[in-house]
Amino acid sequence: MPDSSSRPSRVTDLSERDARLLLDNIVDYAIFMLDREGRIVSWSAGAERIKGYAAQDIIGRHFSVFYPPEDIAADKPRRELETAVAEGRLEDEGWRLRNDGTRFWANVVITALYDQHGELRGFGKVTRDMTERRMADLALRDSEDRFRLMVQNVVDYAIFMLDRQGHIVSWNAGAERIKGYAAQDIIGRHFSVFYPPEDIAADKPRRELETAVAEGRLEDEGWRLRNDGTRFWANVVITALYDQHGELRGFGKVTRDMTERRTAERALDERGKLLTHLVHAQELERRRIAWDVHDDTIQSMVAVGMRLQLLAGGLPAEHEDAVLRLNETVTAAIGRLRNLTFHLRPPEIERDGLVAALSGYLKQTTAGTGLRYTLRHELDREPPYETAITIFRICQEALTNVRKHAHASRVTLTLSSVDHGVTVRLADDGAGFARPLDAVADTGHFGLIEMRERAETAGGWWSIRGVPGNGTTVEFWLPALWRGEENRLP
Amino acid sequence: MTETPGRVVTVLIGDDEPLIREVLREVLQAEPDLDVVAVARDAEEAIELAGRHAPAIAILDVRMPAGGGAHAARGIRRRSPGTRIMAFSAYGDAGSVDQMRLAGVTEYLLKGLPNADIVAAVRRMATDD
Repeated sequence: MPDSSSRPSRVTDLSERDARLLLDNIVDYAIFMLDREGRIVSWSAGAERIKGYAAQDIIGRHFSVFYPPEDIAADKPRRELETAVAEGRLEDEGWRLRNDGTRFWANVVITALYDQHGELRGFGKVTRDMTERRMADLALRDSEDRFRLMVQNVVDYAIFMLDRQGHIVSWNAGAERIKGYAAQDIIGRHFSVFYPPEDIAADKPRRELETAVAEGRLEDEGWRLRNDGTRFWANVVITALYDQHGELRGFGKVTRDMTERRTAERALDERGKLLTHLVHAQELERRRIAWDVHDDTIQSMVAVGMRLQLLAGGLPAEHEDAVLRLNETVTAAIGRLRNLTFHLRPPEIERDGLVAALSGYLKQTTAGTGLRYTLRHELDREPPYETAITIFRICQEALTNVRKHAHASRVTLTLSSVDHGVTVRLADDGAGFARPLDAVADTGHFGLIEMRERAETAGGWWSIRGVPGNGTTVEFWLPALWRGEENRLP
Repeated sequence: MTETPGRVVTVLIGDDEPLIREVLREVLQAEPDLDVVAVARDAEEAIELAGRHAPAIAILDVRMPAGGGAHAARGIRRRSPGTRIMAFSAYGDAGSVDQMRLAGVTEYLLKGLPNADIVAAVRRMATDD
């Protein structure tokens, strides 16, 4: 019996000794006990290290000595014990005082301790010095804040995030500046709104996200849309973003407006020279055809017509009619040839300037059609000849479409200087159409393809949009740099 | 044919296109009150013939060799101040019209008009005092 009764007590003794050993050696935690009133009744090596009191200096004192004055004033120590009693335990983080009056950031757990009769015996208190961790957290949060602030305020790059489906979830100042949308107008929308219709038709936005997922990132250059429908030449990097579990969270998108740089580069490279050459050669060819038709074909047909009229005068009535009808056919053909040469003839851009040439063309082409026109221009200066002639030719084509297809009563032509180039907008109030791509794809609208090719060959962009019953707008932009000017661009 | 008999309007034609020269001459010559007195193939010849014949009316192409219609018109006004000058052109653009007007041309006919209109224009010019 003595053996059997002493064994458990030995075990208990050993266990308490071990516990003591453990407590004395844990230096990362201050582990000590309070009596029911909050007076310190035990102390440990960790407590001494963290709080700076030797056991003999602190045992018997109230634990509120560890609290800063503002906590004392708020009666915090008493409330913490009450909470521990009411809920069994309490966890808190906050500033605590060391013996030398300095503070440390403490994680505190107070546990209410009951005996086997359910009587409150006191409290166990475990305190950990979290000062370094807190400083690191603060530093991290601070750097995250600074980073967020930086991203938000960068104006040279559009930096924003997409969710996994491609909806915009964040926005920055650069995105607003480059794309023209305020954050509240764009967040939640799909990023495909930035792509031109031809890219949408080619399913480009979806393919770009797929590539970003497959390869981690994707880089692309191309035309993107601003909020106002105009375009800019974008360098785009899309990065797939994963969380620590390897789960796709969304995409980061960084977009830069490269319009000016592209304009400068193209002005310098072979394409620029080739384009100048091409435009001049094309105009020369047109001029030659126009002269030939005028000087030869039309003159001969005029002579034939006059001859037929003379002949008709000397013929019996039944033949006279036939010959006069022939003459009418010839006259009608002359009219069509005149329209053709009017269309082909180079405008007097070098002599009168682009605006005057367009004004003259509008006047002549709308004469007698009932179509009224308005020409507005805010050009800083005259564009170079190649640009001017390309603008003129595209406008000519667009106006031909208005006259032939739009059933419009009014057309407004607007020219403005934008991004070292010229934006041209031709809007009518005619029939309009539902889907721009159908119009572009329709082989019947060969002119649309020609307009777009002209603009793109010149390093610009071209678009058409329309609303059924509410008119059509052709809009395009061409770079307009004078020779040598590309060096002064950024 | 509404003109008083005996008063015949003399006309000079200047055009580098032979088909036009010939047919215009026949159209006008068919009218009893009109008489084509000279036909020139270029500007210099038109000036020379106008100086020699002093026609009432000169009908000039705008684009023709040796200086064009404007040059011919200026020369004719110098050599034959009484001659009234009419342009007969395939070009109806503002530039061509202005160019001829500056050279003293008051009537501008577009090639392709009915013969009757051409004849009427010549008569109107001749009687317009």
